[in-house]
Amino acid sequence: MSQPAIALQSVVKEFPLRRGTAVRALDRFDLQIADGEFVAVLGPSGCGKSTVLRLVAGLDTPSEGTVTIEGARPADLVRGHRLGVAFQEHALLPWASARANVELPWKVAGRPVDTARVDELLELVGLTGFADARPRQLSGGMRQRVAIARALALTPDVLLLDEPFGALDAVTRRRMNLELARIWAEERITTLLVTHDVDEAVLLADRVVVMTGRPGRVRHTESIDFPRPRRTEVTRDPAFHEIVDRLTRLLDESDEPGHSDAAA
Amino acid sequence: MSALLARVPRRTVLPAVAGIVLLVVAADAIGRLGLAGAAWPTVTDVVDYLTSPTAQTLLGRALAATGTAAAIGFVAGGLGALALALLGALLPAAGPGLDRLAAVVHAVPLIALAPLLVTTVGREGTSTVIAALAAGFAVFVAATSALASTARAGRDVFAVLGASRLSTVLRLQLPAGLPTIVDGLTLAAPAAVLGAVIGEWFGARRGLGVLLVSAMQNVQIPLLWSAALSAAALSLAAYVLLVALRGWVTRRFT
Ligand SMILES: Nc1ncnc2c1ncn2[C@@H]1O[C@H](COP(=O)(O)OP(=O)(O)OP(=O)(O)O)[C@@H](O)[C@H]1O
Ligand SMILES: [Mg+2]
Repeated sequence: MSQPAIALQSVVKEFPLRRGTAVRALDRFDLQIADGEFVAVLGPSGCGKSTVLRLVAGLDTPSEGTVTIEGARPADLVRGHRLGVAFQEHALLPWASARANVELPWKVAGRPVDTARVDELLELVGLTGFADARPRQLSGGMRQRVAIARALALTPDVLLLDEPFGALDAVTRRRMNLELARIWAEERITTLLVTHDVDEAVLLADRVVVMTGRPGRVRHTESIDFPRPRRTEVTRDPAFHEIVDRLTRLLDESDEPGHSDAAA
Repeated sequence: MSALLARVPRRTVLPAVAGIVLLVVAADAIGRLGLAGAAWPTVTDVVDYLTSPTAQTLLGRALAATGTAAAIGFVAGGLGALALALLGALLPAAGPGLDRLAAVVHAVPLIALAPLLVTTVGREGTSTVIAALAAGFAVFVAATSALASTARAGRDVFAVLGASRLSTVLRLQLPAGLPTIVDGLTLAAPAAVLGAVIGEWFGARRGLGVLLVSAMQNVQIPLLWSAALSAAALSLAAYVLLVALRGWVTRRFT
């Protein structure tokens, strides 16, 4: 592995609460992601997954340690409009159509909208027929797909996905996973996916990182070597289930009480 | 306009009509029985007066003058206030200063500004400027809070897209804040009418404010009431129109 695309080095993140106290969300968290690699971060709710993603996106700064993307600060990547993020809440503009939402990154970057690319993205996420629909006319899964299309719009160097399918039922979620696997196989962008769905992580990622409960730390790293493109057959492979079971057990243990809140 | 009015829900129309009828009957009774003295006319007196052609030209001209001053004041004050609020959002350093300025402008009773205005913008302009100040303050308060209260999720999206502050204000904060801004407009419209009427007390040639004062001094009771009712009707019409606009904006932008 040459220089990693994303590197978090002994990152500590504390959020101040009331006077004098703080909640430690991350505790010496280490993670390196290679160029073109898909890494999924698994962890129980509240363990600091979104915090990791916000640090990489430059929305928060670490209390200790460093976060670098391609050797520079996240803000530099953001300034070049080379970061794509799909948030846990889809956060579409409610007054804009699906198409206008996907066009937003170009407008914000002050670049002419690449209409052909917008069409291509809408087709990629299966929403060609809904280009003119406003977010509230779309189902939850469709909105999340619009958000993913928007994240992919400027062919970013780095893609961050925070439970992009969080609100979906199991069946739709699996279908969306397979669609994302197909999209990713075409674009091969350095990707960090945050999720608490083990199947989703194993199906999509090259490497799965399991976090401990809060304060979050890396507990286990698992390489996933199924060939790509991965289709639904993968999920029937006994090896797939073996990995899923192992990671689920680790996650179970992470979720145990006893990981006390650190007060500083 | 009729399309906009059609959006006012039917449920609110019936009680409103019933309320108005009740009010008119009560007002007429008070006038007839002389319960509130000679200054309270019967409704028929007022209606009789309103149907006379002289009264209609007189009130029509006054209504036009006040309506124009209020409308120009509303638009100019609203736009000015919106521009200031946008400036405050673009230059966070200027925000607290602008807030304080608005508070000071509001704390000075508008009527106390009249002597100053009469000498600077003249007798006719005073009414428009007072209307603009009254409407502008309502819009400024609404717009400032609207621009500041954009949800974090939206701000995060713009932050990671590398959006400039200008782009964030125009593409996110302003459209997201429109419903609240229109709320401010519904308050600003009656304020503009009131401001215009008050402004006319300082030597304007015509307007409802002028009629109110002269009718009062000459004890022309039906005229006094007709002028007051005209001012109320103007204010109410503006309010109803803006409530309908608010309904549309809320549906379009949320
Ligand atoms: N802005 C903040 N202020 C204070 N505490 C915060 C803040 N953001 C996160 N935290 C705390 O940090 C911890 C980790 O939060 P985070 O959102 O990263 O969890 P998560 O792993 O994404 O959880 P979930 O799976 O439920 O989305 C939580 O205990 C949360 O209360
Ligand atoms: Mg989260």
